[in-house]
Amino acid sequence: MKILIADDDKMSRRLLQKTLEREGFEVSAVDNGRLALQQLSLPDGPRLALLDWMMPELDGPGVCLEVRKQHDRPYVHIVLLTSRGSKQDVVAGLEAGADDYLTKPWDPAELIARLRVGQRILQLEDRLVEARETMRFKATHDPLTSLFNRGVIVDLLDRELSRTRREKGCTVVMLGDLDHFKSVNDQYGHLVGDEVLREISRRLLASVRSYDFVGRYGGEEFLIVLNNCASGQAFVRAEQVRNGVANHPVQTMRGPLHITMSLGVLATRDWDTRPVEEILSEADSALYQAKAVGRNRVRLAEPNTSCDTPSQLVK
Amino acid sequence: MKQQGDRSSQDAVDLPDLLVRVDNDHDLLCELIEIFKEEFPRVLQSLQQSVVREDIRSVEVTSHALKGMLSGLSVTRAAAIASQLEQMAREGTSSGLTDVLTLLEREVANLLPELDTYAKETIL
Repeated sequence: MKILIADDDKMSRRLLQKTLEREGFEVSAVDNGRLALQQLSLPDGPRLALLDWMMPELDGPGVCLEVRKQHDRPYVHIVLLTSRGSKQDVVAGLEAGADDYLTKPWDPAELIARLRVGQRILQLEDRLVEARETMRFKATHDPLTSLFNRGVIVDLLDRELSRTRREKGCTVVMLGDLDHFKSVNDQYGHLVGDEVLREISRRLLASVRSYDFVGRYGGEEFLIVLNNCASGQAFVRAEQVRNGVANHPVQTMRGPLHITMSLGVLATRDWDTRPVEEILSEADSALYQAKAVGRNRVRLAEPNTSCDTPSQLVK
Repeated sequence: MKQQGDRSSQDAVDLPDLLVRVDNDHDLLCELIEIFKEEFPRVLQSLQQSVVREDIRSVEVTSHALKGMLSGLSVTRAAAIASQLEQMAREGTSSGLTDVLTLLEREVANLLPELDTYAKETIL
């Protein structure tokens, strides 16, 4: 594990470094508080730190205060190591943000034991963060396809619409539905249906840019949000998505299946102040029309409501 | 050759304690002594000048630094005197600083030769 030593006393620094290296720590050492703060602020910087109290430029408690302001970084366990040992000093050090406190001259066994405590706390924090991230993922993603779930994709669309209005840009909204998907489930069973949904989700993600959003809107319905996409590109982009689904059969445990998707597409304009529900309703109407005229096609929403591209029916 | 058990109570360095601190690593001990020999005279001189100038803040900082260096090498009695100087300076006491400094100078008078002896010994 990486550890930072900050001490302006060269001898103390060397002794600490050697002692910690013997115990398997990956040690970096600096001689002032400003450099310590720099090291601890690096994205992959040390998460264990042994700081002297009195140092040039920025003292140990000062480093603690600055580190504790960095809420977006993983927690750093800080041990203040100093010859100041009064109760008042201990309290001041801990209140500045130190986790532990050792007085010089330090005992090697005690020093190592206290650092092991710090390691255990950091490992516990890692496990908690990992659990939180897992929970967050489960709360925001569809368990079958790992796409955003309905609540999240609609929220993202809402946010994107606000941004589009603010920046006078355009957002392209695609509502896609797999054609005759019920017959896949009826004929091959739900496990095969699930295989199809997973593969189609993968293809949808592959057919958009990394910063676009794809979500599972319903059973076999998908909502795609293209950020900052020129309205004139809406049809072309939707065709790419449709072709990504239809051009190659989906390999399943029951053999290859030819799957297609119909899409209702809408491109917003800067004057478009309609709420997200209305936008989705229009995309849904366009999707319904695409289904009504034969499926496996893209239908753009009516121009008088949201888009300057003429309404068109393709294929 | 002087063995560990032969040390006089007048020795400035608490050798058993120091050996624990360096984990009986003779090379590390020599390295630390070299660093100490480079740094110590400079810091001591700075402290002496601060006392002469009666610069209390500077006395506090330099005696603190000296205390850290001395305790790092288990020079315990001298470290305690440096600590006394630091405490006096922190409390703003300038009278008596010269006397305590003299005590410290006596305590460390033979420190560097003593450390040289340890560095030269192969059996510690």
